[in-house]
Amino acid sequence: MDRGMVIFVGALLTFSSSWLGLILLPYFKLQNEPAYVDPQGQADPYPRPLQGRAAAGRVVYQREGCMYCHSQQVRSEHFGNYWEDGVEKTGADIKRGWGNRRTVSRDYIFDRPTMLGTMRTGPDLSTIGKRNPSYQWHHTHLLNPRTQNGWSIMPSFPWLYTKEKVAGDRSDKALDVGREWTVDPGYRWRPSDSEWQAILVAKREAIVSAYVAGAGGARPADVKAVGDALVADRDGRKRLLDYWLTTREEDYQVVPTGDGDALFEYLVALNKNEVDLPEAKE
Amino acid sequence: MVAVASKELTPAERQRFARERAAIDASCRGPVLFLMCSAVFWLVVGSFLAFVASVKLHSPYFLADVSELTFGRARMAHLQAVGIGWASLAVMAAATWQMCRLSRVGLVYPKLVVVGGAAWNVGMVLAVGGVLLGDGQSVEWLDAPPYAPPFFIAGVGIVSASVVATFRRRVERHVYVTQWYILAAVFWFPWLYTVAQLMIFWMPATGVIQPIVNWWFGHNYLGLWMTPVAVGTAYYLIPKIIGRPVYSYYLSIIGFWSLALFYSWAGMHHLIGGPIPAWLASASVVGSMMMFIPVIAAAINHHMTMAGHFHHLRYSPALRFTVFGAVTYTAVSAQGSIEALRNFSQVAHFTHYTVAHAHLGAYGFFTMIMFGLCYYMVPRLTGREWASSTLIRVHFWCAAVGITIYFTGLSIGGWWQGRMLNDPNVPMGNIVNYLLPFLMSRSVAGVLLTAGHLCFATLVVMNVTGWGQGRTGGPTYFTDKAPPARRQTAVAS
Repeated sequence: MDRGMVIFVGALLTFSSSWLGLILLPYFKLQNEPAYVDPQGQADPYPRPLQGRAAAGRVVYQREGCMYCHSQQVRSEHFGNYWEDGVEKTGADIKRGWGNRRTVSRDYIFDRPTMLGTMRTGPDLSTIGKRNPSYQWHHTHLLNPRTQNGWSIMPSFPWLYTKEKVAGDRSDKALDVGREWTVDPGYRWRPSDSEWQAILVAKREAIVSAYVAGAGGARPADVKAVGDALVADRDGRKRLLDYWLTTREEDYQVVPTGDGDALFEYLVALNKNEVDLPEAKE
Repeated sequence: MVAVASKELTPAERQRFARERAAIDASCRGPVLFLMCSAVFWLVVGSFLAFVASVKLHSPYFLADVSELTFGRARMAHLQAVGIGWASLAVMAAATWQMCRLSRVGLVYPKLVVVGGAAWNVGMVLAVGGVLLGDGQSVEWLDAPPYAPPFFIAGVGIVSASVVATFRRRVERHVYVTQWYILAAVFWFPWLYTVAQLMIFWMPATGVIQPIVNWWFGHNYLGLWMTPVAVGTAYYLIPKIIGRPVYSYYLSIIGFWSLALFYSWAGMHHLIGGPIPAWLASASVVGSMMMFIPVIAAAINHHMTMAGHFHHLRYSPALRFTVFGAVTYTAVSAQGSIEALRNFSQVAHFTHYTVAHAHLGAYGFFTMIMFGLCYYMVPRLTGREWASSTLIRVHFWCAAVGITIYFTGLSIGGWWQGRMLNDPNVPMGNIVNYLLPFLMSRSVAGVLLTAGHLCFATLVVMNVTGWGQGRTGGPTYFTDKAPPARRQTAVAS
């Protein structure tokens, strides 16, 4: 037989074997796996496809590559060992509170694509919607993760937010976050000494009043005296600045864009432990 | 068994063979140089994207308001640029040229290969541009937006067909092991890519079947496309440069068939501990362990071919890169097999340890051999020697030192990252802080690798555009070509 034919048939057979074994077998076993219906018929079927803005948020999650630092799978309570007081223990995923049971294939039947992830630079997000559904937390964290965790190396996502002039009342969607995070969205702003001097010259009255009311612990009547004392020395000016940076910008507010809102809706919709599936028991 | 010993050729025969080789190289010139040059272009693009992603991981305020270069997008675009762009185009160049050389026949449809390469490049522009502008898919290795894959499939289909057509017109009846590897690879890859696209995007399979297909693809992309062509290239270049036959023909055939059978089964070890049937991961652990067979076969073969001839590494740039890659192949494959073990994976999965391993394979092994091929092949295609041996030397040491720093830093950091992730008493913040110096070492490595790539790209551009020396001056070696050994014995006696 011709050598070319031998190679062709051999390559076909070896490759087909893995295709049959690794792809087609699981395909026939898992394709169209049905949602779980509570035997008492009391709850909705689980899982359910993402709806509306959460579905749009999944696309944002995809395009920003969140999956490359955050997995979406809770591993078995018997997986991964560590030692505590000389005793070997397992199951960090569950003990870290990332879920209360392992995730199984049925948890993913409506995922397109299924973003199990391969890296945990950050925590697992399988159940983030249940763990932390806070609107303010997620949005300030997405605007700049250092607002929540000083050690975070997660990217800021300022393009998911718009900074706008406040017209009338502040929007109730506005992020409740100090000016250090909003002057230059995505970064952490801090004026240099000379800039701070200039700001103090221009707005000293308002800044000191806010300080007295918020953190100074002095009577409002003392505003001028407190201000003089603070501005006189370097340490005082720094204290005043530290406080001022945590106050909101008066004229501006930061609100999520449609994409930002959608991503939040997707995150809070993530709960791959919602129902105790029988097959997940160990 | 030692392959047929080469008989002495008469001067007339030598001239005839040289003319034949020159004619073959002339037929490949345009298409193969096009494939190779565009590969180098994507390598450089990918290097810069990698640098951006790497820096952002320890300094998150670097370009923090540029949405196009946020970590996730830069990472996806980097993998597309180097993984799909550089790797595939280099593989196609290597496959096309070596198939012609070993079949002793001119390239059959040169213009068609250019069309195929052009299609692949159009796909690359769409893939990298699309990912950066916000169409990334977050499916590892398959992040390209939906409008890019048709170009990839058309491109690789055309090039594959042309390689097979060249093989079918072969004049040389003996089929060398490199041809086995190339033929299998050009057959496997279009199938692999089409099935993956079909089952993940065009008609998405349910839930976890997608990651199963994803890792069957991701692992086979390395195992059945990049690896066979790179190993085949080492089988071609090493004997060619040192001028002696491959140590054992049978070993090379055992290596080929065991790789074909076992590598394709190895992919599911990426999902150990995940929500997939347990037997699936177990099957892949077995496949991964069996990979020791082809790896040891290739290691013995390459080593025994080189034995007694290592002094050639002193002067030949092509050989130095190729042997570096061949040695790394053994190391990275052995590491990969062990990494697939469940106990090992419990720590290393989800960490930078895996990233270090992936780069040792894709760079230390594959890319180094492709550099070696380039240094050997391009002068023969253009008729010009490399302009500067210093630049080649800088390239080699940047690459060798860079990948060593990269691998060492992330392996150590990644291992302890995994141990700490497994211990719920260690807060996430401590793990992140612990990793910072290791992530910085990766950026340092990235600067070195990128500097090497710029030297390499400069050399290629100079050579192709005619700044190199004419070939009459003799090849550009690191040092003068060593006298045929025995110097040490002379010193000793």
